[in-house]
Amino acid sequence: MREERDELIDRIAAELRVVPPLDPALDARIMAEVATLPAHEPGGVGAAVRWLARPLTLRVSPIAGLALAAGVAALLLWTGVFSRRDTVALETPAAAPGILLAHQGRSTVQFVLVSPDAKTVTLVGDFNDWDAAATPLHRAQAGAWSVAVQLVPGRHRYAFIVDGVRWIADPTAPPAPDDDFGSPGSVVTVGA
Amino acid sequence: MTASKTLLIAAALLAVTAVPSVAQDARLARRLDAATYAQVQGELDSARLAGLPTEPLVERALEGASKNAAGPRIVAAVHRLAGDLASARRALGETSTTAELEGGASALRAGADSAALTELRHSRPRRQLTVPLAVLADLVARGVPADTAARFVVSLAPASDEQLVMFQRNVERDIALGAPPIAAAAVRMTGVTGLTSGDAAPGPQASPPRKP
Amino acid sequence: MHIADSDDAVLVRRVLAGDTRAYSALVARHRVRLTRYAVRMLGDPADAEEALQDAFVRAFRSLKRCEDPARFSAWLFRILVNRCRTIGGQRGRRERLVMSTAITPEPGVPHPEDRAAWREAIEWALARLAPDYREAFVLKHVEELSYEEMAELTGAGISALKMRVKRACDQLRTLLSEVQRA
Repeated sequence: MREERDELIDRIAAELRVVPPLDPALDARIMAEVATLPAHEPGGVGAAVRWLARPLTLRVSPIAGLALAAGVAALLLWTGVFSRRDTVALETPAAAPGILLAHQGRSTVQFVLVSPDAKTVTLVGDFNDWDAAATPLHRAQAGAWSVAVQLVPGRHRYAFIVDGVRWIADPTAPPAPDDDFGSPGSVVTVGA
Repeated sequence: MTASKTLLIAAALLAVTAVPSVAQDARLARRLDAATYAQVQGELDSARLAGLPTEPLVERALEGASKNAAGPRIVAAVHRLAGDLASARRALGETSTTAELEGGASALRAGADSAALTELRHSRPRRQLTVPLAVLADLVARGVPADTAARFVVSLAPASDEQLVMFQRNVERDIALGAPPIAAAAVRMTGVTGLTSGDAAPGPQASPPRKP
Repeated sequence: MHIADSDDAVLVRRVLAGDTRAYSALVARHRVRLTRYAVRMLGDPADAEEALQDAFVRAFRSLKRCEDPARFSAWLFRILVNRCRTIGGQRGRRERLVMSTAITPEPGVPHPEDRAAWREAIEWALARLAPDYREAFVLKHVEELSYEEMAELTGAGISALKMRVKRACDQLRTLLSEVQRA
């Protein structure tokens, strides 16, 4: 079949190849969800069996080759990279910021910040007297920090403090433009 | 009313609100310098006398303290918020909840008109306005002009809070993906069940858009 | 070696070894191209975002089943293609964001609106195609895959794919040549 190309098709394709604008918070949301999943387990019998089953291309004698294969497989089983299983203090069910509807007078909101290089992350807002020591986030997998907080109905302003000094707004939440003090902040609203 | 009666009433009001104010005083005293503390207390006393909620004012002062703001700036912020809460109460009514007043204050600060808030109250006389006010303020924060945002939210007032939340999230996502804010809000309004803007219609269009 | 410098195979193996953080580099690396496909297929940015998030999370969950980590990109893309088919089928594309509705060209106004209107017309025309024609067109002419790659991705035969691409092109020409003449 003749290949279908002409100037119009080329123009259409060129226009469609322009990448549409991205939601800057999408990566963070993806990793926040990935962070709630169990990490993959390194090594394991299955992996070793698959490794052994692959053809080897070592130029050694057959007997030496088999011995080498078995030895390396055993080493892999023993020294695989094991991830730290961080305990994440999450209350379920929890929702992401924005506007939420309360259940029985309160709503549990999960605050998440992806910040792989941070050493500490804390949450400050009008629900904890903007106290930098009151609500630390817990580090989960993949540099995602999180904490779940119960909020009463109303409009709550908040921010994250990274490493005790850097105030940042929540990239996944509406901004709080009515700031009197020149620092970035975000808003979460819990409906009655 | 005589001066002595005025003083008695003021003293009674202060006494009634004294218990929570002691707790507020302690939080402020720990975080503010003496001069700022005294001035903020003055603002809180005025707010109490006017019947306005004081917790939002305390939180605004504590926010300033956390951000190491200068005393005068903290006092100005508290004073400004008190004014916004009073304006919100005039627009939304005397029986408004603290959450509604805070939402109204944010909407007014964002540029919404008092008349729009009053119209919102009339559109939803027996239901809480916390969510619609939040949607209004958030739309403006995202770039929808205040009068347009107010018109959208007022016409969406009959919708449930769940529908309003979904509307706001969809608009937010669309804007983040590059849609002009007004267009995003207008299109998403047609997705709210039972409500139409009368403008953009959902579904495939019958004819192609005109190239200018 | 910094995470960002590692190729896909290295990153996949690190994730499988328990280093979930390495997955964020894979997301950052592939998200742009996958966004383009999802938005072009589904039209609605919210649907596209859902498809993207689903695809990346599913890929993480089933990463052990990626038989050749060096071909992670193609494996991930297949997951996204299937997610787009599912979401597109469920939603029936009921609501499409028309990005340029608010733009009303005025006499004497310079040309930026022309480009926006042309893009809007293309998006409109693409949305009018049957899903399998649209899929074939986007994979062939936007993502620039070979028919062999498309066959592996979609499970359809090469002849069928060529027919779909041809029909898609014919329909787009019909729909858009009128716009061009306007």
